[in-house]
Amino acid sequence: MPGSEGAGEELFPESCFALALRGSWTLAWGLESHPEILRGPNTKMEVFQTLQRLHMTIFSQSVSPCGKFLAAGNNYGQIAVFSLSAALSSEAKEESKKPVVTFQAHDGPVYSMVSTDRHLLSAGDGEVKAWLWAEILKKGCKELWRRQPPYRTSLEVPEINALLLVPKENSLILAGGDCQLHAMDLETGAFTRALRGHTDYIHCLALRERSPEVLSGGEDGAVRLWDLRTAKEVQTIEVYKHEECSRPHNGRWIGCLATDSDWMVCGGGPALTLWHLRSSTPTTIFPMRAPQKHVTFYQDLILSAGQGRCVNQWQLSGELKAQVPGSSPGLLSLSLNQQPAAPECKVLTAAGNSCRVDVFTNLGYRAFSLSF
Amino acid sequence: MGAVTDEYLDHREKEELHLLQAHCVVLVTAVNYTEEGLAPAWGREAIVYNKINEVIRKRLLIDGDGAGDDRRINLLVKSFIKWCNSGSQEEGYSQYQRMLSTLSQCEFSMGKTLLVYDMNLREMENYEKIYKEIECSIAGAHEKIAECKKQILQAKRIRKNRQEYDALAKVIQHHPDRHETLKELEALGKELEHLSHIKESVEDKLELRRKQFHVLLSTIHELQQTLENDEKLSEVEEAQETSMEADPKP
Repeated sequence: MPGSEGAGEELFPESCFALALRGSWTLAWGLESHPEILRGPNTKMEVFQTLQRLHMTIFSQSVSPCGKFLAAGNNYGQIAVFSLSAALSSEAKEESKKPVVTFQAHDGPVYSMVSTDRHLLSAGDGEVKAWLWAEILKKGCKELWRRQPPYRTSLEVPEINALLLVPKENSLILAGGDCQLHAMDLETGAFTRALRGHTDYIHCLALRERSPEVLSGGEDGAVRLWDLRTAKEVQTIEVYKHEECSRPHNGRWIGCLATDSDWMVCGGGPALTLWHLRSSTPTTIFPMRAPQKHVTFYQDLILSAGQGRCVNQWQLSGELKAQVPGSSPGLLSLSLNQQPAAPECKVLTAAGNSCRVDVFTNLGYRAFSLSF
Repeated sequence: MGAVTDEYLDHREKEELHLLQAHCVVLVTAVNYTEEGLAPAWGREAIVYNKINEVIRKRLLIDGDGAGDDRRINLLVKSFIKWCNSGSQEEGYSQYQRMLSTLSQCEFSMGKTLLVYDMNLREMENYEKIYKEIECSIAGAHEKIAECKKQILQAKRIRKNRQEYDALAKVIQHHPDRHETLKELEALGKELEHLSHIKESVEDKLELRRKQFHVLLSTIHELQQTLENDEKLSEVEEAQETSMEADPKP
C-alpha cells in the first residue's frame, strides 16, 4: 500500500510497547485471532497489513455515476474502489471481492464522500478533494483539485463530517467541526456562504428538495433548517427538548438525518424519530435502543443502522419489519445503489467498524462482503 | 477363430470379423504389455477401441435396428440364385415359399421404417409447436412480472402515504376536538359578556351614589357657609349697635 511505511509509525500505541516489553507479544498486537501470522516466518509487511485491517473503520461510501463501482473511505485516509459488477456477476471469484484499486487520499480519515456525475468528492481532515471517476481506476491517480473552506482561525483545521450536493445550484455544502455550513460553488470553487447557528460541531446534512432547504444536525442536539437562497435559518427543532424521544443518558447529539420533503427522520442520542416538518411534531418513535448512525428513506421503508450488527428496516408506523445482521460489529454508513445506468447492480451496501463492506442484493439477507 | 468358413459371409461381415480378430490380438498384446510392465497399456488399447467403435457405430447407423435387414436381402438374393439353379420340384417349391416369406418380412420391415419416419416428422412438428407456445408464454410471463413490479411500487407508495396519514392522525388525536373547543370558547365568551354587563351596572350605581353624595355634601357645605355668614352678619350688627350706643352719650 502506498505510504504505508510512513503511516505505520502512528499505529503503535504505547500500550502495545508496554505489553510487548512484558513479553506478551501476541496479546499486544491482537494476533491470537490470526494464527497464520504466529505460525511461520512472516514479513513485517504482512503483520502490519493484518493489523491495519483489524483496526480499520470504514466511514463513508459512494457509488460511481455509472453504478458499477463503489468507493469506500476508511480511517487511514485510504479510498478503495470495488467493482460491483464483477462481484455480482455469476463468475465472481474471491479476487472480485477485493478492491480494484486502493490509494491514499487524505492524511486523516475520510469521513464523507459524494459523487457527482463525473467526480468523486472526498473530505475528512479539513480539506475537500476531487477525483475523476474516469481516472480513478488507473494506478497513481492524482486529485483534480483540493479546497479548504475559510476557517475562522488558521490554527485549528476542523474536520469535515458531512458533504451534501445541491444539484440545482451546482454547489457543495460542507459541514463539520467548526459548527458552520460552508457552501461552495462547484464550477468556480469559490466559497459563497457560511451559515452560522450551530453551537457545536455538525454531524450530518440532508437536502429537502421541494423548497431547497438544507437540514443539519449536530452535537448540540438541534436540527436546523436553512434556506439556501436567503442564507438564513428557517426552522429549528431541538430534539432533546421533546420528552417522547429524548434519552438523556445517551446525550443529545444528532447522529443521522434523512428527509423526504415533508417528513424527517433523525436519531443518535435521542431515539430514532419520525418528524413532520411543517408542524415540528414528533410523530413516530422507533423503539431502538442503540444509537443509530445512518438512516435513509427507501420506498415505503426507513432503513437505519448504528451500534448494533444489523441493518434495521422500519415501517413508517413504527413497526420493525426486519433486522438483517451484517458482518461488522457496528455500522456507520449505508449506501443504496439506485443509479439508473446499472439496474443489475442495485444493491444496498453497509460498512462500519471493520474492513468489510456488506452487500445486500435483496434486503432480506446479506449476500456477501467486499473486503479492503 | 479360423474355423468359421467364409462362404456364407459377405464382405462387410468379413470386415467385422477381421476387426474383431484384430481387437482380440490387441487385447492379448495389451495384456502381455501389462504383464511385462510396460505402461500405459490401457492407453494404447483405448486408441484401438476408439477406432473399432467408430466403425461399429457407422455400421449400426446404416443398419437401423441392427437385426440384419441388409443380410436378409443378401440372403434373399442368394437363395433366389440357388432356387434358379435348383433341381427337384419340392425343394424348389419349399425354397420358393421360404423366399416369399423372406420377401414379406423385408416388406414388413420396410413398412415399419416408413411409419417410424412419418411419426418422427410429425413429432418434430409437434415439438416445434410446443416450443413456440412456450416461448410465447415466457414472453407473457415476463410482461406480467414487469406489470406486477410496477403494481408493487404503486402499492408501496400507497402504503407509505397511508402510514404518513396515520402518523399525523395520531398526533392530531392528542389535541382536543375543534367543536368542543369552539363551544367552550363560546361559553366563555358569554360568561365574559355577562360579567362585563354586571360590572357596568355596578359601576353605574356607584357613579349615581357618588353623585348623590356629592350633592348632599355640597348642600351641607352651603348650609354651613350660610349659617356662618349669618353668624358673622349678626356679630357685625351687634358690634355696630354697641358702637352707636357709645357715641350719642357725650
